[in-house]
Amino acid sequence: MSSADSQGTPSPSERRQRASGITIPGFVLKNALRNGRRAMLTVLSVAVSCALLVTLLTLQRELTVPPESEAASFRIIARNKVSLAQPLPARQRSTIEKIPGVRQVSPFTYFGGLFRDETTTSWAQFAVDPARFRELILEGKIIEGSYDAWVKNRNGCMVGADTLRRYGLKVGDKLRFTGTFYPVDLELTIETVYAGTIDDRNCFFHHALLDQLMDDWGMVGTWYMMADSADAVDGVIKGVNAAFENTSAEVRAETERAFQLGFVSMFGNVKMLFGSISAVVVFTLILVCVSTMSMAIRERFRELAVLKALGFRRRELFAFILAESFGLSMLGAFVGIGGAWLFWSTINLQKLSQGFLVYFEVTPRIMATGGIVAALLGIVAAIGPSVSVARMSVVSGLKTLD
Amino acid sequence: MALPLKYNYRNVLIRWRTTLFTVVGVAAVVSVVILLKALAKGIESSSARTGEPGNILVVRKGSQAESGSLVTRDQFRTLQFFEEIDRNAAGQPVVSAELVMIINAPRRAAPGSANTLIRGVTPRGLELRPKVTLVEGRWFQPGQREVTVSKKLAGRFEGFEVGGIIRAGPDRLRVVGLFEAAGSAFDSEAWMDADEARAIFDRSEMYSSILLRPRDEAAMRSLTNRIAQDKRLGLRAEPETEYYSKQTATAVPFNILAGLLGTAMSVGAVFAAMNTMYANVASRTREIGTLRVLGYSRAAIVVSFLIEGVLLSGLGGMVGCALSLGIYAYVVARGVTFGTMDFQSFAETVYQFRVTPDLMALGLVFSLVIGLIGSFLPALRAARLPVISALKSL
Repeated sequence: MSSADSQGTPSPSERRQRASGITIPGFVLKNALRNGRRAMLTVLSVAVSCALLVTLLTLQRELTVPPESEAASFRIIARNKVSLAQPLPARQRSTIEKIPGVRQVSPFTYFGGLFRDETTTSWAQFAVDPARFRELILEGKIIEGSYDAWVKNRNGCMVGADTLRRYGLKVGDKLRFTGTFYPVDLELTIETVYAGTIDDRNCFFHHALLDQLMDDWGMVGTWYMMADSADAVDGVIKGVNAAFENTSAEVRAETERAFQLGFVSMFGNVKMLFGSISAVVVFTLILVCVSTMSMAIRERFRELAVLKALGFRRRELFAFILAESFGLSMLGAFVGIGGAWLFWSTINLQKLSQGFLVYFEVTPRIMATGGIVAALLGIVAAIGPSVSVARMSVVSGLKTLD
Repeated sequence: MALPLKYNYRNVLIRWRTTLFTVVGVAAVVSVVILLKALAKGIESSSARTGEPGNILVVRKGSQAESGSLVTRDQFRTLQFFEEIDRNAAGQPVVSAELVMIINAPRRAAPGSANTLIRGVTPRGLELRPKVTLVEGRWFQPGQREVTVSKKLAGRFEGFEVGGIIRAGPDRLRVVGLFEAAGSAFDSEAWMDADEARAIFDRSEMYSSILLRPRDEAAMRSLTNRIAQDKRLGLRAEPETEYYSKQTATAVPFNILAGLLGTAMSVGAVFAAMNTMYANVASRTREIGTLRVLGYSRAAIVVSFLIEGVLLSGLGGMVGCALSLGIYAYVVARGVTFGTMDFQSFAETVYQFRVTPDLMALGLVFSLVIGLIGSFLPALRAARLPVISALKSL
C-alpha cells in the first residue's frame, strides 16, 4: 500500500493505476515486449554495436597507450638524435656514469633477429650488460634458472616467461637467431627466465657477445639507465643531452614512458582512425534505435491518443516512451558490453595474434563509455516519437489507422 | 505471376522515413568497409607500382627488408664486375650500391616526430629507376650535403621543402629538389649521394642493398643462380618487382580491421533491416491478404518482399559508394596523403588511399547480401499469413 493511501488523498495517476490493476512499470514492460521479435532485434542490434564500440576503444587503447609500470618513470632511454636506427659510440658510457643522478647504465641494443626459420621478427632480442641490467629491471622476477649463471655464461640468455610458454622452451635449450640489422647470427643457451615485467616476451643476451661477433664493433644501440630517484630524472635527461651536444653522436634522452609514447605515435594517426570509425558506429546505432522507436510508437498512435483522451498528460506519455526506449537500449548495452568483456577476457588473444596484442583489457572506463553512449541513445531515440505524440490532437490520433 | 516491381519501389518511397533510416544505416556500414579497404589498397598498390621489370635487387640472405640488410664493400666489389651486368652508353656497369637509413624528423601538421627513410643512391641508381622524375629544383650534388626528397614527404615533414634543412644529428642536409615516383614506395623516401650517406651515418664499410640490371633474361637467371650458390657471399638476389610486391605487411592490419568491422556492423545492419521489413509486413497485413485473394501465390509474395529488402539496402549500398567516392575525390583534390609505420623498416610509409571500382562493387554486393538476409524471414512471414484473418486485420 502506498503512503498516499494512508493520507487519504491518492493522486489521479495512482487512482488510475489501481482502477485498472496495472502499474506504470508493468504497463511500460508490457508495451516494450508486446512485439517480442522487435524488442529482441532492437536489443540485439544495440548489443552488437555496443560490443563493437567497446572492442574498437579497447583496440585503440592497446595501440596508443602502452602499459605503464612504476619503474618505467625512473628509467631513461637515450638514443641517437638522428634516429633509433643509428647506433651510439660505446665510449659514451664513462661520460654517462659520471653524470650526477645516474644510478646505473647499461647498453641496450635491439638485435631484431629471426628465430629459427621464422620469416618475420616475432619477438625482440636485446643485447645488454647482464651485471648492470639486474638493477634496471626492478620489477622483474627470476622464476627459473639463476641470474648469476647467465652473468657468467657469455653465450647464455635470459628469456621472458611468455615466450618460453609460447614455444614450449625450457632452461638449457639452444636458441638460434639469424641477424637482419646485424650481419651475424646468434646461438644462445637459455640460462634464466624472467616474469612480472610489462613485457615478458623478450630475450636478453650479453652485449660482449655481439661486440665479439662484430669484431669489436665499439657501438651500442641505445643506453638504458636508471636515475637515483624520481626527482633526479629531469636532471639526468638534461645532463645526458648536454654531455654529447655538438659531438659526432648527439643524444636524445627521455623517460622510458615518453620513449614508448613516441614510438607508438609513429604508427600514424591511429586515434583519429579509430575515433572516426567509432563515430560512424555510434551514428548508425542512433539511426537504428530512432527508427525502431518511431516504428513502435507509430503502431500505437491510436492507443496513445486514447491515453491522452483518458487524461494522461504529455509528460506522462513522454515518460512511457522514454522508459521503454531507455530500457531496451540499456538491456542491449548490458548484453553487448558484458558479452564483449567476457569474450576478450576469456580468449587468449596474445596467442591468436602471435604476440601482437598482449593485454587487450576492457577497462571499466571503456565499459562506462559504452554504457553512457547507450543511455544517451535511449534518450535521443525517445525524443522524436515523443514530439509527434505531444503534437497530435486526440481526434486525429484516434482516426489513425496505421 | 510475379508482383510488379512498381509495387515495391512505391512502397519504399511512401514510407520514406523508415526507408531513410535503413538506407543511411546500410550506407554507413558500406562506406566504412570501402574506406578501410581503400587504405589497404593504397599500401598494396604502392608496393605493386615499385620496381622495374628488368632490375634485380640484392640483399643479405635472411633479410626481409632493405633497411634490415647489410652488404659489405667487399661484396659489392666482387659483384660489380660480374659479366652478366648490363653496361650503359658510357660503358659503366649498371649497378648501384645503396644505403638505406632512417632519420627522425618533426611532422608538419601534427605534433611529434616520425621516422623517414633516407636513401643513399648513385648516378646508376637514378638510371635504374626511370619512373622517378624531378618535379622541382634539381638533383643533389655529391659532397655538398644536399638531398632531393619526394614531393609527398615534403608535405608531411617540416624542413622537407626546397630550401629547407633536414637535420641528421650534427649534420645539416639542404633540400635542393623534389621528385615524384609515380605512387611507388620511393614516394616515402629522401635521396642523397651514397658515399656521402655512408660518411654521415658512419657506415664506412657497409651498404644496405645493391640494385642492378642484367643484360637479358638469360643473364638474369644465371646471375640469380650464381649469387644464390655462392655461399661465401651470403647474399640473395631477387627481381626488384617481386621484392616489392612482398612488402605489403603494412596493409594487413587494415584488411583485418575491414573484415572485423564489416562483419560486426553488417550483423547489426541485418538486425535493423529485419526490424524494418517486419514492420513493413505487419503494417501491410491486409494488403497482403488482398493480394493473395487476387491470386498471387505465396512464392510471389516472398519474392516481392525479398526484392523490396534488396532494393532498400541496395539503395543504401549506392549511397555508401557515392559517399566514399566523394571522400576519395576530396582527398585527391586536397592532395592528402596517409602515413603508417612499416614494422620492417620502422619508417613511415606514405601512400594515397584508393577507392577502385572493384571496392565499390564489393560494397554494393555487401549491401545486397545484408538486404537479402535481412528480408528473408520477414518475407516468409508475409507469405505464411492466413488469408482470412489477414483480411480481417486493421
